[in-house]
Amino acid sequence: MTPPAQIESHKRRPRSWLSEVPIPMPYIALAILVAMVTTQRPSYLSVAQLNLTTLEAFSLILVTVGQTIVILSGGLDLSVGGVINLTTVLAATQFGRGGAHMVVWILLLLLLGLAIGAVNGAVVRRLRMQPFVVTLATWSILSGVSLLILPTPGGQIPASWLSFGNMTVGGLSIWVMGLAGIAVFWVSFTRRPLGRAIKALGSNSEAAYLAGVRVAPTVVGAYALCGLFAAACGLFLTTQTGGGSPIIGNDFVLPSVAATAIGGTRLTGGFASLAGAIAGAYVLTVINDVVFTFGIPQAWSIVLSGLLLVMAVFLGELRGLLHRWA
Amino acid sequence: MMGDRLKWVRRNVGTLGAYAVAVILFSAITAFVPGFGSAAHIRFLLLTAAFVGVVALGQTFVILGGGFDLSIPWTLNAVSTITTALCLGHDTRLLWVLPLVFGLAALIGLINGVGVAIFRISPIIMTMAMNVIGQGLVVLGFSGLSSTKSPPLIRDMVNRVVVELPIGVWIWLLLAAIATILLSFTGFGRRLYAVGTNDQVSRFAGINIAATRIATYVISGVCAGIAGLMLTGFIGESSLGFGDPFLFASVAAVAVGGASVLGGQGHYLGTVAGALILTFLTGLLPILNLAQGWLEIIYGLAILVTVGIANMERFRLEA
Amino acid sequence: MKDHAVEVASPAALDAKGISKSFGGIAALQHVDFSGSPGEVHGLLGENGAGKSTFIKLIVGALRPDAGTISVFGEALGGGPRRARRLGVAAVLQEIPLIPDLTVAQNIWFRDEPMHRLGMISERRLLSMTRTLFERLGVEGIGPSALVRELSLSNRQVIAISRSVAHSPRVLIFDEATSALPPKEVEWALSLARDIARQGGLVIFISHRLREVRTVADRITIFRNSRAVGTYRTEEVSDDRLITEMLGRPPQMLYPPPQRTRTTRLMLEVRGLNAGDRLKDVALDVREGEILGIGGLEGQGQNELLLALAGLRPARGEIKVNGVGMNISSSRQALRAGIALIPEDRQSQGLLLTKSIRHNVSLSILGGITRWGVLNLTKETHLVESMTKRLNVKATDIDQIARTLSGGNQQKVLMARVLLTKARILLLNDPARGVDVGTKADIFGLLRQLTAEGYGIVLHSTDFQELVNLSDRLMILRGGSISAILQGDDLTETNALSASVGNWTN
Repeated sequence: MTPPAQIESHKRRPRSWLSEVPIPMPYIALAILVAMVTTQRPSYLSVAQLNLTTLEAFSLILVTVGQTIVILSGGLDLSVGGVINLTTVLAATQFGRGGAHMVVWILLLLLLGLAIGAVNGAVVRRLRMQPFVVTLATWSILSGVSLLILPTPGGQIPASWLSFGNMTVGGLSIWVMGLAGIAVFWVSFTRRPLGRAIKALGSNSEAAYLAGVRVAPTVVGAYALCGLFAAACGLFLTTQTGGGSPIIGNDFVLPSVAATAIGGTRLTGGFASLAGAIAGAYVLTVINDVVFTFGIPQAWSIVLSGLLLVMAVFLGELRGLLHRWA
Repeated sequence: MMGDRLKWVRRNVGTLGAYAVAVILFSAITAFVPGFGSAAHIRFLLLTAAFVGVVALGQTFVILGGGFDLSIPWTLNAVSTITTALCLGHDTRLLWVLPLVFGLAALIGLINGVGVAIFRISPIIMTMAMNVIGQGLVVLGFSGLSSTKSPPLIRDMVNRVVVELPIGVWIWLLLAAIATILLSFTGFGRRLYAVGTNDQVSRFAGINIAATRIATYVISGVCAGIAGLMLTGFIGESSLGFGDPFLFASVAAVAVGGASVLGGQGHYLGTVAGALILTFLTGLLPILNLAQGWLEIIYGLAILVTVGIANMERFRLEA
Repeated sequence: MKDHAVEVASPAALDAKGISKSFGGIAALQHVDFSGSPGEVHGLLGENGAGKSTFIKLIVGALRPDAGTISVFGEALGGGPRRARRLGVAAVLQEIPLIPDLTVAQNIWFRDEPMHRLGMISERRLLSMTRTLFERLGVEGIGPSALVRELSLSNRQVIAISRSVAHSPRVLIFDEATSALPPKEVEWALSLARDIARQGGLVIFISHRLREVRTVADRITIFRNSRAVGTYRTEEVSDDRLITEMLGRPPQMLYPPPQRTRTTRLMLEVRGLNAGDRLKDVALDVREGEILGIGGLEGQGQNELLLALAGLRPARGEIKVNGVGMNISSSRQALRAGIALIPEDRQSQGLLLTKSIRHNVSLSILGGITRWGVLNLTKETHLVESMTKRLNVKATDIDQIARTLSGGNQQKVLMARVLLTKARILLLNDPARGVDVGTKADIFGLLRQLTAEGYGIVLHSTDFQELVNLSDRLMILRGGSISAILQGDDLTETNALSASVGNWTN
């Protein structure tokens, strides 16, 4: 074999310093907000408070993880609101007295979330429909079904589930350890073929297809995982609220996308930061505390979350533009 | 000539199909449900269809241009709440309140349009965020107020029957006519269809894409405002959150009416049929003693079925 | 130079029989038969739109044929890209299909990654495998952990090429795979191709650079107008013959007689045009009644030049129209200044395929046919019909949908739109590409007519013969700057080609 020619690297595209630095936005924002609250409530920086804040943020964290996966694949899932609604009302009406019956239902509900997500993915892929349209429709359908099952918030959650949800181990709420579980999941997910295929699909779907990615199962997988996490979120909520609600999930749709965006995940797909998304969820949660602590009317927190979302997306766009013309 | 007529039919099959379904549906229901087709009930149906029809007008323009408007619920609510809160039941105040609230509605649309067209923010994100911001601001400014009663003039304007139909329905018809003229007979309409069909081509042809898109969001904001006032007049008061069902409803009406959710294809006249179909279906709910949850299920299924079928058609054509 | 004998062995490495493929009624391939032997490098030549790319897409499994069969080393191809890969087909395509957000290593071994026991990908082994591969191939200076998104175009091509040979393919396709590579790397790529052939595989090599194809190919097949029109052994066929076969008729007949009448009125003056690293200090003049050709190898700035002049691409420089300095930073401003562009890709940049001829043609003059915003349909009909008639557009009526027209008629519709505007300076980006011969003649005749009427035309083409026969003056771009401006007796294909590769001095 004749020795091949040696090549040298060519003019690498000059990197704008802005695009090299991972966006620290969620962490900075979080630090600022926590600092703000701490000035008025010095006890804010404590383990006990960490437990409380995590409890507040955990539901959003769960649904955000799922949303991040779908957005990574290049899609969007608005139906998480409907899945959460359905999960809480089914839990509140079916858990009964608890025990084995309840455990079976917990598994069923998780499976239901998985299945609903899979249907979303299948419709998006097979019928080539836009994710927004499909998940808007399923959101509507699931919310309607939830209203039929439980027209007004209420229902019964067995005490055993409530106490499980509020357990602490060694001073730390089990949900703080839940965070660790999520981290383990993510590390595993990003290193598995499915996770890589999802990322590839969101990055360049044409190239992914040509490289041999099975698009349909990948899309279905992404949405199924999202549904699973949304169901988990619903289950978690029932431990905190003690009941079910056919509308509670609706307030999670925008924040799940906002947390993902604030965390630096690219909304067009291909790049995701779980740490950032979790930080984003904390940001949105701490905003509530800020608003409360300073005596600002409650409604400002949603206004702020909307503004943050727009800003995060805008900054993301800016970065993209700089990248292209640097 | 016969050939020309056939071609026109083939080109407008989506819209015509929607009307066919509307007529068949209405006839079927009337056959089984006595009273459904009574004059009074028809007036009622048309008026409730008008609310969906008016918000869906804005949504139609936005979708034709390639976007989506998710800020309709709280733009609607903002106009409604602010009007009742400021008028406190006095008609005379409408003189300055009306320009104010419509200015606000247009402003919301403008912000949406600028965010989408100039800052390239995804329409879903931008309008969803504006909806939430609107919600917050309305709740901040106007919750827990003494009066949410509609000014009598508005109530009158919407409900009074003139030449067999409530004025509210005439308003809808007027808006429909304006929309049809805009879409089919103006340069703006041509530009809108071009922009919704292919961005690049429009750019190369020298069309002001940003202005066209921004205009659609402004139209949508204003329509949401009009619907808000109509709804207030109909119910007699405004309440927080009563705009929420209109998001699903507006998208469903556009989809059922045969427009492509990708943009560039469809017409408001189709949306009108879509609004009618949805209203007939939901009008069945109280009659069949079905709970409110069915409303949302119907909207969702309507979207899925119509867009799904349209997509399968599209693939058959392209294959 | 080739240094191995070629034996036509059986079974064929790639056997295609009776392949046909259409898109929306327009035939991209018709009854194509092709046979590639193991151990050979087989070149494919043909104009753009002749069907080469479609054929390649069928081989890699990205598309399925409407009729016919393809088999690789005797096994039928008939599934998606996965099946093709499994049969040993690897390709480096024009649109480099890498995943931007994955690293170099992750891209190269994508779908074939080394795994840990737990079913997780071993990043460490991925990196070492990549380093080994790079050593074997002689690739230096590209870090395996770099994100593809941050690599230059030529580096991406190197990665794409490395990826394609990483699994020792049995059928390797290079489709314009060397277009962004500097000469040393081109040699590297070609030697890799020869290696694969030497190992018994088939290499299909597509390039518009005739020289390159001749250097490396044992046999050459020509595609023309959706058919495979002939296969030749490289050493037995001349360049002229190849070109004639690609064009379909002796070149001379296509072109209307030149009219070298010259007025000196300057319509367009451009000085110091710069756009990033794509255009460097370009200056040009366009006179009334002249055709200024823009040529050179692909991707040397020609597209950027036309886009910049049309206001569709940001650029710095001085532009004067009819002696008046203009600021051209949007397509609307360009149109107002009298400059109109006919884009390169008529399907995705030029026409609204789902809309009617009427809608497409009147798109740029909406202001002129509306009063108070309302359309004057009679005026529109009159204008559109007379223009389409003048251009000889074959359609049932102006309400016919653009998608159903042939490529040539679609191009005419685009020209109709531009001609209805007040623009007198026309920028045409490869207007005759993928257009049937009859329409080509129509278009070229139209260009001459227009110059006689006083239009100034800037014509970019990837076909040197076209450029030489149509232009009054020809500007060759290389690396974003002007390599030569040829006119009069110097305006020959040989000189144009020389200037394109940097061998021309005045």
